Amino acid sequence: MQIQHLPYPDPGVPDARSGPRFLWWLGRNQLRGQLVSLAWGLLHFGSVSTLPFCVGFAVQAVVERSGARLALAGGLMALACVGNAVGDTFLHRAAVTNWITAAARVQQLLARKATQLGSALTRRVAAGEVVAVSTGDVEKIGWFVEAVSRFTAAAVTIVLVCIGLVVYQPALGVVVAVGLPVLAVAVLPLLPRATRRADFQREKAGYATELASDTVAGLRVLRGIGGEELFLARYRRASQEVRHAAVRSARMWSLISAIQVLLPGLLLIAVVWYGVQLARQGRITVGELVTVYSSVMILTYPLRHFEEIAMAYSFSRPSAKRAARVLSLERFMDAEGADGGSLGGAGEDARAGSREATHAGSREATRVGELPSGDLYDPATGLLAPSGRLTAVVCGDPDAAGRLAERLGGHPSEKGTSVLLGGVPLDELPLDRARAAVLVQDKDPVLLSGSLRELLDVPASGKVRAEAALAAAQCEDVLAALVQGSLDADDPMDARITERGRSLSGGQRQRLALARSLITDPEVLVLDEPTSAVDSHTEARIAEGLRELRAGRTTVVFTSSPLLLDRADRVVLVHEGEVAAVGVHRELVHKEPRYRAVVTRETEEEAALSGVLNEFDVDELDELDELDEIEETA
Amino acid sequence: MIGVAPPAYDPAAPTTAHTLPVGAPATVRAYVAELFRRHRRAFLLLIAVNTVAVVSSMAGPYLLGGLVERVSDGARELHLGVTVAFFLLALAVQAVFVREVRLRGAILGERMLADLREDFLVRSVGLPPGVLERAGTGDLLSRITTDIDRLANAMREAVPQLAIGVVWVALLLGGLVVTAPPLAAAVLLALPLLVVGCRWYFRRAPAAYRSESAGYAAVAAALAETVDAGRTVEAHRLGARRVELSERRIKEWTAWERYTLWLRSVLFPVINVTHVTVLASVLMVGGVFVLQGWLGVGQLTTGALIAQMLVDPVGLILRWYDELQVAQVSLARLVGVRDIEPDAGDPATAPDGRDVHADRVHFGYVEGVDVLRRVSLEVAPGTRLALVGPSGAGKSTLGRLLAGIYAPREGRITLGGAELSRMPAERVRSHVALVNQEHHVFVGSLRDNLLLARPDAVDAELWAALGAVDADGWARALEEGLDTDVGSGGLALTPAQAQQIALARLVLADPHTLVLDEATSLLDPRAARHLERSLARVLDGRTVVAIAHRLHTAHDADVIAVVENGRISELGSHGELVAADGAYAALWRSWHG
Repeated sequence: MQIQHLPYPDPGVPDARSGPRFLWWLGRNQLRGQLVSLAWGLLHFGSVSTLPFCVGFAVQAVVERSGARLALAGGLMALACVGNAVGDTFLHRAAVTNWITAAARVQQLLARKATQLGSALTRRVAAGEVVAVSTGDVEKIGWFVEAVSRFTAAAVTIVLVCIGLVVYQPALGVVVAVGLPVLAVAVLPLLPRATRRADFQREKAGYATELASDTVAGLRVLRGIGGEELFLARYRRASQEVRHAAVRSARMWSLISAIQVLLPGLLLIAVVWYGVQLARQGRITVGELVTVYSSVMILTYPLRHFEEIAMAYSFSRPSAKRAARVLSLERFMDAEGADGGSLGGAGEDARAGSREATHAGSREATRVGELPSGDLYDPATGLLAPSGRLTAVVCGDPDAAGRLAERLGGHPSEKGTSVLLGGVPLDELPLDRARAAVLVQDKDPVLLSGSLRELLDVPASGKVRAEAALAAAQCEDVLAALVQGSLDADDPMDARITERGRSLSGGQRQRLALARSLITDPEVLVLDEPTSAVDSHTEARIAEGLRELRAGRTTVVFTSSPLLLDRADRVVLVHEGEVAAVGVHRELVHKEPRYRAVVTRETEEEAALSGVLNEFDVDELDELDELDEIEETA
Repeated sequence: MIGVAPPAYDPAAPTTAHTLPVGAPATVRAYVAELFRRHRRAFLLLIAVNTVAVVSSMAGPYLLGGLVERVSDGARELHLGVTVAFFLLALAVQAVFVREVRLRGAILGERMLADLREDFLVRSVGLPPGVLERAGTGDLLSRITTDIDRLANAMREAVPQLAIGVVWVALLLGGLVVTAPPLAAAVLLALPLLVVGCRWYFRRAPAAYRSESAGYAAVAAALAETVDAGRTVEAHRLGARRVELSERRIKEWTAWERYTLWLRSVLFPVINVTHVTVLASVLMVGGVFVLQGWLGVGQLTTGALIAQMLVDPVGLILRWYDELQVAQVSLARLVGVRDIEPDAGDPATAPDGRDVHADRVHFGYVEGVDVLRRVSLEVAPGTRLALVGPSGAGKSTLGRLLAGIYAPREGRITLGGAELSRMPAERVRSHVALVNQEHHVFVGSLRDNLLLARPDAVDAELWAALGAVDADGWARALEEGLDTDVGSGGLALTPAQAQQIALARLVLADPHTLVLDEATSLLDPRAARHLERSLARVLDGRTVVAIAHRLHTAHDADVIAVVENGRISELGSHGELVAADGAYAALWRSWHG
């Protein structure tokens, strides 16, 4: 795989049973690249190792006063020079290519896994872990996978040079051959401690960065109310802690550096001491002595690869383990048996088609290309949203409202009786088709970064134009704000939205999210508190716009705003998990005290009254529980 | 065709308008000079330690050269024992000092880095509130994370290592000159190639690496967003598009990797050839000189071994030089914050009384476009004024002007007769506080989160403030009480609890005038109602300007101002406005049914 051909058309199915298996799988999948890197590595390290021989040869030529042999040494060096330059450059190219292809493959696998997990991610701790693998672990994994072939080349070279030295000059060669392995492993015992200290330093640095960015994020609060000195002092403490940790870590690394100077130095001295005696006895030439000395100096370079591979492995092992764990996550780990969602995750539209066939048996409405339609009915609460009408749902408990809204879309996180759309249980439809039939916009819809055009470019019926949706959601001022905040966009559609729409106010974000949902134009649209952060003037206009745009389509709005409720065809009060009242707003406001309590502002007396009622409810429940217990013990 | 052109798409190119300035070269230079001055001693020490380390490292080649000379001359007495003893001594010195060099380098780098990041935060927290409101915190945030990160490497490694490398090369060349001047001249033969190659490379490298790392960050950012938006992605069936986006980011990133790889494919042979040329020219030129009898074999040996040692420092310099160039850009962004004039204000301007008065105020964010036009308003002490109106009408802007965050373009806003915009920010906030929907809970203890409003408050006062906003119930239930860590990474508070903390801060700061901008808008309605009761207690006795987005807030106000299109179109009490039967009355009817 060449870099310019990335990304992979298909990153493959990883062996994610364990960290080492995953590393092995990655390495095996770029066997060719590894071999190329090994070959160039041998050329590079081999050429480097011939230089000492050239130096010794030249010195010997000079000692023997032979100009011809000096010239020959020069010629040999030129050859070594070419081998070295070509070998080094192409080793680097091969190694970097291996690194990048491995990193790109893991990133691709992560992206696919993330979309497959979809909403399951936000419910789980896994979300942070997926991101951690992508930002930190991929580099380490790529490093180790790449370093293997480079290390192998270095190790092979060292063995060959040792053999060569023993053959070329047995007496001195043996000294070097014994000494080098000692050098190779000498600092390894120190590495775990050094990396631990480095990790500790990173942790401290991470905390300091967090403090700094947290302070900046809340800077408007600080500037508005005070306390700057308090936070500066705190940051200074953290910053100094980072410094101390870094210096502590540097102590360890500087010790390692000293050892890396000391040990080769001792070997050099041994070589000189023994070699000079041999030279004096005439057993070796001066040139040979210089060769051996120079070899020891130069071999410290391939020797460093022992350290590197040890470090790469110790860094990449936990990373690979984490990556393997993330890549083996499934949408519903706890689901009994196979679940449609766990197979046909979002983002696999292309492949979902073939799988649908296996699910299609039960209902005729799931025939390819046709989505179920009709009334939306939730058997658990008795909530009915008639086809083609605007239904508003009022629910005293916002959490319960959120759960109910989620259930209306099918495939909820908590299993239960399925919601029916035109009589078809949504939970039995493949996930992607259920999502296509019913769009649930939750309380906290996320605006994805990119241009406004990209934001609004969602899978849609194509019947609602962006302009119409933006107008219905009252987005004019949002468009103006976007143009003002962007660098060179005159067309608001080209204006960029930052991550999560942070540069916009809460109300502006809500309106853009609503516009996006309106463009999708699904058979059934479920909105959970879509205008909670919008001012009353605008909310009234949105209510009107929503009604017009969704005319003839099924819409369910969870809200407690009279401005929205007043425009609904049908208002349903859900209380304690069941439908308590159905009607229109004006009628319910007068007839139904529980409805009035949620929708209009409670007076103090009403609040007190409902408080008493709640307490009463609780007492009653306690009694029931006690009865249950008595029954059970009996 | 040989060579790779830089990719057309540059992920490092700015996409949003830079709202904060970037430091001018002169400012950056002045800052660097100051930084050096502050750490001059540490620098000199580092160079001294490094000199000892390098000089002792040359003892080996020198001593071996002497031995070679004597052996090849067939001298009887070699003094091998003494030589080896010297060798050992030099090695011990070298090892000790190499350790010192690494350590001193790290200490110096860490000091400079700590100075830099602390300086930056000091400057940031001193920014005028108006600048922050206008610029937002995004740009500042990216400077304190991304740019500090990039500088960390430069300060921690590049600066000390470059200092070490340069001294190292100079000393080795000096050693060559001392050993045999002609050999030093031979080294220069390799210089032209190195200079040409490096110029070519360093002209392209820094920008390319910046783009490359921005490209890589974009890969991770795309995935992080997919994960963060998991529910939205699934609901809108955006999975395939997110995978596509991730792959596009990978393509963009790897295109830059390919380009920088090409740059190195040019640089690497240059360096390799340079190294061997240095060694070869020393041996060949020196060899000829020895054959001519102008130089000894020992000198040649020493020279060759020193030439071989040049590999390390040259590699060091090349390795860290581009890091330094990348760091320059980040430094300019950090130092740029220093270019913003802190608005000093006039300490002599102090309010006399508590009434707020706006007199024919005009204001606009962009030249020529006024958001507010000729707005006049009077708020008597203790009054509750509600601003209502459609989004974008200018309510929030008016609120910020009344809180002293922006200065009017024309007209005056006064508090107790003194012009708000001429008071220092610290004085303004002791009188007026703006409460918006940003209920930031800082990382740290609950205590720290409250103390910021009144740093000298004792625990009893903190509890009293929590009690005043109905928050003492859940706060007392916390196992560690005020020491509980909250904020990101700590105990997650509900939006309502975060709001209560914001209100408790107000109780502690105790300003007599409050501007509330959609303070409860991000809360779900039920929590909002509960909070409004706590809020009512906090507001008691204060002047309140409420930017109302729920109509019942307006209903309770003494005066309601309807803001439409930058002007106040209706002004009066609830009863008066309903009776007047204008825009407000229409809205009220649909709200209340």
